[in-house]
Amino acid sequence: MSDLSVSLGPLRLKNPIATASGTFGYGLEFADVVALSRLGGIFTKGLSLSPHEGNAPPRICETPSGMLNAIGLQNIGIAAFRDEKLPALAAAGAAVFANIWGDEEEDYVEIARALEGAPGLAGIELNISCPNVRKGGMLFGNSPDATASLVGKVRKATRAPLVVKLSPNAPDIVESARAARDAGADVLSLVNTFVGMAIDPETARPRISFGTGGLSGPAIRPLALRMVYQVRRALPDVPLWGIGGIATLSDVLEFLAVGASAVQVGTANFRDPGVSQRLVEELDAYCDARGIAASSLVGRAL
Amino acid sequence: MRDIRSRVESRSEHAPGLFSLFCSAPELARTALPGQFAMIGVDGRSQPYLRRAFSVADADPGSGLVEFLVKIVGTGTACLGELVAGQEVRILAPLGNAFATDDLGRGERVAIVAGGVGVAPFPLLLRALAVRGVEADLYFGGRSAADLAYRKRIFPLVTGRELASTDDGSLGERGRVTDLLAREISAGARYRRLYACGPTPMFRTLARVIGDLGVDAEFSTEAPMGCGFGVCLACVLPRPGGGFLVSCKEGPILPPSAVDWSRC
Repeated sequence: MSDLSVSLGPLRLKNPIATASGTFGYGLEFADVVALSRLGGIFTKGLSLSPHEGNAPPRICETPSGMLNAIGLQNIGIAAFRDEKLPALAAAGAAVFANIWGDEEEDYVEIARALEGAPGLAGIELNISCPNVRKGGMLFGNSPDATASLVGKVRKATRAPLVVKLSPNAPDIVESARAARDAGADVLSLVNTFVGMAIDPETARPRISFGTGGLSGPAIRPLALRMVYQVRRALPDVPLWGIGGIATLSDVLEFLAVGASAVQVGTANFRDPGVSQRLVEELDAYCDARGIAASSLVGRAL
Repeated sequence: MRDIRSRVESRSEHAPGLFSLFCSAPELARTALPGQFAMIGVDGRSQPYLRRAFSVADADPGSGLVEFLVKIVGTGTACLGELVAGQEVRILAPLGNAFATDDLGRGERVAIVAGGVGVAPFPLLLRALAVRGVEADLYFGGRSAADLAYRKRIFPLVTGRELASTDDGSLGERGRVTDLLAREISAGARYRRLYACGPTPMFRTLARVIGDLGVDAEFSTEAPMGCGFGVCLACVLPRPGGGFLVSCKEGPILPPSAVDWSRC
């Protein structure tokens, strides 16, 4: 058993493999195939102040090496999560990060307050990058000023470790990252999905009812990797959580090499629900065989 | 649910683009309930990226084989169409809820309504009903005779009557299977429960027909699924009065009243 622990600002994780928001439900759905305590972290489905219905179907569409989705952040709301899901996750030994979103700044602040001191919560991830809702979401991530204002307000409202999930659709990912860091983000996670589209050639209508959707899966991996690299080079001091089409150990090593201190596995959880724990085991074997600690794999390509 | 590394032991061709895969999965063969489903995929392929959902068509605890009925409609099913005996498949199962049969007993009569490849979940259901001494009539409809090619396999399991219909009249009655059912009911057929699986227009019509009659019913619903276990939230169906239910988790077996068919 190797030392797989990594540090990201105030966070110390047992290993760098976490599961991405929107691809791992509330965690418990995976309990049959993943030992939740083995993961470095679990990011919940995006949570709003009140339960949210989401968009009309069809909501997903498979694309080459990935998929488009426009679920529209359907979720059970912050109170049901905190009172019902979080205690069960904590009992299972999971490191839980609540991904939160809202229409207005005040929604985020209120959710952060509602989570303050909740037992079992490892941190909060601000979703300022969902492309599939009409209000809020990505709008906060597309302008550095809006990002800074929102992150600053949430920062004041909570003592919990604060992760900000950036949008690859913003005009300049480095400026987004800088704005979030300067406003008090402890860790940045990047990237969320890329806005994409698919058309049914027979009907000439979008394959997703929302029109556009977020592209994820291995198709986006080189783009996401480049963005992590770019932000790491520009802002060497801010801890990064890499996300984008990660499905194999080699993908994990790539993201660590460009300076992500940890990764989140996303769409691969749909195809292969046991993948996250398997990556922990594979990383362990990899480090063991070389007699190294996982943290030594961070930044080797810089 | 378990993610089973399985193998195709054999396949059987019913018609062009319609075939059964028989996969070795001894534990699943023992535990699968009628109406439950599996997410099936092939490792090491980036296209299709996601697995596809299939009803457990039949399960034989003796041989450890589980049957899945596949109709080629796109890239996911075409990928399974290339499989030959001996190849590995990944089977995430058992998923979803099951048809209710526990409350039925000897001497009772039910109807099964299948539209095309929607016949998939019914061999296993017919076996469960037969064990309980329940007599089942099968109404099997399709566009043409090729859609009904699976009849050769399933008719021997039917304990009651076999009624077939095709849109073009190439097999059985000409017309919709829902019309066939409505006619039989108006001629006096009485059913304790109706089980159905097929395309959305069939469900919509059926929901109206049986709603008028007050017959108890269970529909095996389907919507495009990303994961099959309630996480991706893709396979939603509209609830009456607003909001959505998740077909893979809350279903796939649902009473017709759970869904607003006018919004499907």
